[in-house]
Amino acid sequence: MSSEPLLRVENLKTQFFTEAGTVRAVDGISFEVREGEIVGLVGESGAGKSVASMSIMGLVEAPGEIVGGEITYKGETIFGLEEGPDGELRKRDDALSDEEIRTRIRGNEIAVIFQDPMESLNPVFTVGGQLREFIELNRGLEGEEARAAAIDMLREVGIPDPEERYEEYPHQFSGGMRQRVLIAMALACEPSLIIADEPTTALDVTVEGQILELVDDLQSKYGTSFVWVTHDLGVVAEICDRVNVMYLGEIVEQAPVDELFYETKHPYTDALLDSIPRPDRTVTELEAIEGVMPEAIEPPSGCRFHPRCPDAREVCKRVHPEPTVIADADGEPHRAACVKHDAFDVDYEGSPPLAGATRETGDGMAEGTASELAPNPADDGGEDRE
Amino acid sequence: MAVSESQFESSREQADEDDVEARVGWRYTVARIKADTTARWGLYVVTVVLFVAIYAAIDSNLSLLTFGVLSDYTFARLIPIFDHPTHIPPPGEGTQHMPPYFPLAEQPWNPLPAGGTLEHPLGTDHTGRDYFTRIVYGTQVSVFVGIVSTFIGLTGGTVVGAVAGYYGGRVDDVLMRVVETVYAIPPLILIIVFTVFVGGANIWYAVLGVGIAFVPVFARIIRSRVLSVREMDYIEAARAAGVKDRNIIRRHVVPNSFAPVLVYATLQIGVTILIVAGLSFLGYGAQPPTPDWGQMLNIAHGYMHSNVWLSIWPGIAIMITIMGFNLFGDGLQDALDPRIDD
Amino acid sequence: MKLLKYTIYRLAQAVPVLIGISIITFLLANLGPGDPVSLMLQGQEHSEELVRAIERRYGLDRPLHERYVTYMVGLLQGDLGQSIYYERPVAGLILDRAGPTLLLVVSAYAFALATAIPLGVVAADRRNEPTDHVSRIAALVGVSTPSFWIGIVLILVFAVKLGWLPSSGLYYPWRPPSAYRGIDGHLELYYQSARHLLLPMIALGTLQMATIMRVERTQMIESLQGEYVKLARAYGVPERTVLRKHAFQVAQLPIITIVGLNLSTAIGGAVLVETVFNINGMGQLFVGAIQRNDYQLVMGVTMMLGVLFVVGVIITDISYAYVDPRVTYGERE
Repeated sequence: MSSEPLLRVENLKTQFFTEAGTVRAVDGISFEVREGEIVGLVGESGAGKSVASMSIMGLVEAPGEIVGGEITYKGETIFGLEEGPDGELRKRDDALSDEEIRTRIRGNEIAVIFQDPMESLNPVFTVGGQLREFIELNRGLEGEEARAAAIDMLREVGIPDPEERYEEYPHQFSGGMRQRVLIAMALACEPSLIIADEPTTALDVTVEGQILELVDDLQSKYGTSFVWVTHDLGVVAEICDRVNVMYLGEIVEQAPVDELFYETKHPYTDALLDSIPRPDRTVTELEAIEGVMPEAIEPPSGCRFHPRCPDAREVCKRVHPEPTVIADADGEPHRAACVKHDAFDVDYEGSPPLAGATRETGDGMAEGTASELAPNPADDGGEDRE
Repeated sequence: MAVSESQFESSREQADEDDVEARVGWRYTVARIKADTTARWGLYVVTVVLFVAIYAAIDSNLSLLTFGVLSDYTFARLIPIFDHPTHIPPPGEGTQHMPPYFPLAEQPWNPLPAGGTLEHPLGTDHTGRDYFTRIVYGTQVSVFVGIVSTFIGLTGGTVVGAVAGYYGGRVDDVLMRVVETVYAIPPLILIIVFTVFVGGANIWYAVLGVGIAFVPVFARIIRSRVLSVREMDYIEAARAAGVKDRNIIRRHVVPNSFAPVLVYATLQIGVTILIVAGLSFLGYGAQPPTPDWGQMLNIAHGYMHSNVWLSIWPGIAIMITIMGFNLFGDGLQDALDPRIDD
Repeated sequence: MKLLKYTIYRLAQAVPVLIGISIITFLLANLGPGDPVSLMLQGQEHSEELVRAIERRYGLDRPLHERYVTYMVGLLQGDLGQSIYYERPVAGLILDRAGPTLLLVVSAYAFALATAIPLGVVAADRRNEPTDHVSRIAALVGVSTPSFWIGIVLILVFAVKLGWLPSSGLYYPWRPPSAYRGIDGHLELYYQSARHLLLPMIALGTLQMATIMRVERTQMIESLQGEYVKLARAYGVPERTVLRKHAFQVAQLPIITIVGLNLSTAIGGAVLVETVFNINGMGQLFVGAIQRNDYQLVMGVTMMLGVLFVVGVIITDISYAYVDPRVTYGERE
């Protein structure tokens, strides 16, 4: 645990410079992925999770730009900024160049699986041809060898008659089969990390189950790490080891998966959990989260969730909480960015509830068990921000 | 039946209320046109061209430009409301207003085209008529022909496409085969054959011919729109309520197809002007002495060595006019179809 | 062979259209108020007997449907009737004149594709940069300018003013060099035909070029935003390959369709360009036939130009099927 993680993302900021204003899609997030781990990145659409994952690959398209932070992969800085002599931000010298990222990182170190299997494959090339191209590019195999590797991988992901289907075009595959092809592509390049950007969202539930099972099997077989981007906490519960919950470009809660589900520390995560059916709870009615997520152009002041938060108080409008260690789950920190916890010394208790807040004073505290479980904030607080 | 009709009427009112959104959409479109540089420039050019055309049409003897417009101006006779003065002021009467050469009358005593002077900024043609004036008048023919024949094509195409798409089956088959056939004969060829064999070289037959030649284009667009609209629930509901097919097409299907057709029609005006220019160049469009750009180029072709500019100006006029409509159409497309956001 | 099946299917689909073309041409030529005989005799003193005689000679005294059947029977045997002016079989005349027109149209397309596709790709790649703006404006001018006027301007500049290139006529590279005076050897013949072809080719090709460029640009922009392009980039495919292979292949599909459909504009343009450059192709044949009211010839040429278009569209459809696997295989769910 003390060893260097596979991927470390620190204070990553990605912004889109549009006519309407600067969209702060990702606004200072930090997380890490260790070897052999599946890390979830969860949030509503627009929370910035896909942008975050694309930023890791250096694949943010104009008008988007990574404006801050540092990304370290296997000890190498793949992205880093420093202030130049003229005060302008520029790429740090020790960071990899675009060309190096393309040849050394993309595909062979970090691979991706995209959301829409129907659109992700090129309609005019055969499935095998596309798979083979990526294998040739990222594994140095050529000709027959690459072809054999491609067919092996198609078999591995459960595509029947892989030799025949190798010659077929994407439109001849069903959605689930195409997603298997995309998984085959990712695994075929033998990366250490796979970023899966909502890979099952476009599939129906039974197919989703099959794909998740497949990923689980392959993950234990190959030991590949995953960053699993999704809006579906059900999926998270099924396959993730640790989870980052994102809201409006920020991580609001970060914990091991069981801890997150049973010891929820952030009202937003609470709300997300309430909006899905759970086998461990009997609920008569699913609750939708109130309101819609605000624009990331002008995020609300203070805590960004406060306009929709049932526990919001006056102080939430003023204080912007950073993710802070609230609890400890078997040696893993449980971070949350909510001032209702004692780790934040901002007199939440003494602050009057906001008009829109639905829960009575003290009620929120009664539901959360934060105050009892919170360890000494002074010990862990410093580790959070470097 | 009456009851269900009225029920449907009320549901239609509902739909009209929903149209508020459509109206917002329309306003949004206008806003986008205003914001879109392409559309704005297109609009400017089209406005100027239209202004010139209308000015040339309604202006009588007020300005120098049109002072001597004569009765042989065929186009004026064809459109009675655009009546031009038929008498030529005798020499000596109001001399300071009168240009030395009548812009449209043939002046046989000056057989060679002349270059540009202050009086004749673009010179004169082979009969001594002011070239600038003729170019200005040419606008009228081009714009008129462009708009009217596009309108004919649009109307015909809407009827054919709506009927084919709505009824489907054999009606669709037959109509679409006919449309395909007309489409298969290159427009210029079809129009010439039509003009010469059915009417005789005359601008009106040319207009009609161009209109007919472009029916297939519009019929196809409308038909594909109809096919998608036809499946919508409220059409089903209307049909179930016993509303007449004709009314369904008129009230629902056609308005729903408006946006793409509008874009296409704007672009089509440009194509039409292009075709008519070619037609006139070959001698099957507007007939002399009506000033028409294509026909002017035809005549100028014979004077290529003595006066190069005679071959240049009408072409530039054609180009600017068509460019205006194309720009506007492009901008309209951007505004109505946000798929590609520039 | 699915492609073969598709080809046969497309050909079969064309049959009603071809029959339709024959009907329309026949009706236009025979039904109008300006009937062939009076058109033929325009301006001439004529007696009733002369009219009868002419009618009998060309079979015009028989009812319309009978005449159409006769015409169609002849058509199926390759007989398009007799030209009244040339007093020769129409089919032979068309065959003689088809060469230059095809040469002109094909070279115009070659010119258009060779220039438009790279320009469109570059414009899409450098979207909203100066290169893009310049090429977009050029394309706009291109689609807004009549081909015959471009021809006139080209003649004025390159033939009249600069004297670099000839302003009229065409040397046919398929003829023996001995057919031309002062030409010895194939090389010189090819050189001369290239010189003569250059200006009309540009005149006719500009509109096609501009149209294709606009479509290419739009398609490339769309294609570059595709998920499959994102995927290729994510797997470390070099940007050049992404542009030239992954995005490019998909973007070409609509171009094929455009080439086919624009053939009708190109044929119309060929008539005009042939007139400007005095090229003895089908366009000139058509214009002459119209002027002389040679209605058999008009019918024949119109039919053949229609057929040319239909054949062109079929060829492009079939090549589309070759390039896009989705067409022939159909969707499998």
